[in-house]
Amino acid sequence: MAKPKIKPEIKTESVVAPAPKWNVVVLNDPINFTGYVVVAFVSVLRIPKAEAKRLMRQVHEEGRATVWTGERERAELLALELQQWHLNAILEVDA
Amino acid sequence: MPELRLSMTTEARTVLTDLLRLIAPAAARVSVNRARVPEADGEVAAFWTETLKAQAEEEARLLAVAFASAKGNPAIIVLRNEAQALAFLRALSAVRMALRDLVFADIPDAELEAAAELDDETLPTEKRHALACYTCFGLLQQSLVLQLDPEAFD
Repeated sequence: MAKPKIKPEIKTESVVAPAPKWNVVVLNDPINFTGYVVVAFVSVLRIPKAEAKRLMRQVHEEGRATVWTGERERAELLALELQQWHLNAILEVDA
Repeated sequence: MPELRLSMTTEARTVLTDLLRLIAPAAARVSVNRARVPEADGEVAAFWTETLKAQAEEEARLLAVAFASAKGNPAIIVLRNEAQALAFLRALSAVRMALRDLVFADIPDAELEAAAELDDETLPTEKRHALACYTCFGLLQQSLVLQLDPEAFD
């Protein structure tokens, strides 16, 4: 007796992966003064001065700081604005 | 916000104006070259580059006009509002960047952070001159930051 052919049932399910987040990272440079960097952070990132100072110290002491994380378009805009302040800003995909 | 003032001797004004005339044409190129432009999207990269180039040209104009208009002894640059002051701050940063890249790219970062102590008589005259100007632009920038926000420096 022939075995009935069983067609395997394959279920597929599509899952939409969340868009990756992007980091705006500022690298240390030997040219811009600490006070200037604080003014730049307050102006571009719209953050309180205390937070701007904390980020500035992190850049100065550790060589880099992530100053903003979020969706790509906004990250690009902020990185460009920081570069317009002549800061060493780069974009990285958030791990 | 009251107007902000930057003052300097007439000699300093003359020297800095002459240097600006020399370095301004290259400042836009330096600004774009230094920037890390994301290259994945050609349209974004083109917009990015054009924005930086246009800004650098505007900054060169701003500095040229401000120094040319600084009259008297001491020569005084008057910045009438916060937007003007912030633009001037950025312009001073741009010219320091350009000097760093074009005149003393060979000086290590750590030494450049203490540029005022770099007045080494063994350096060529042009480089010493450029370093003095670099320090002067920095002093103007610090003065402006302190007027905008006395607590910005720790």
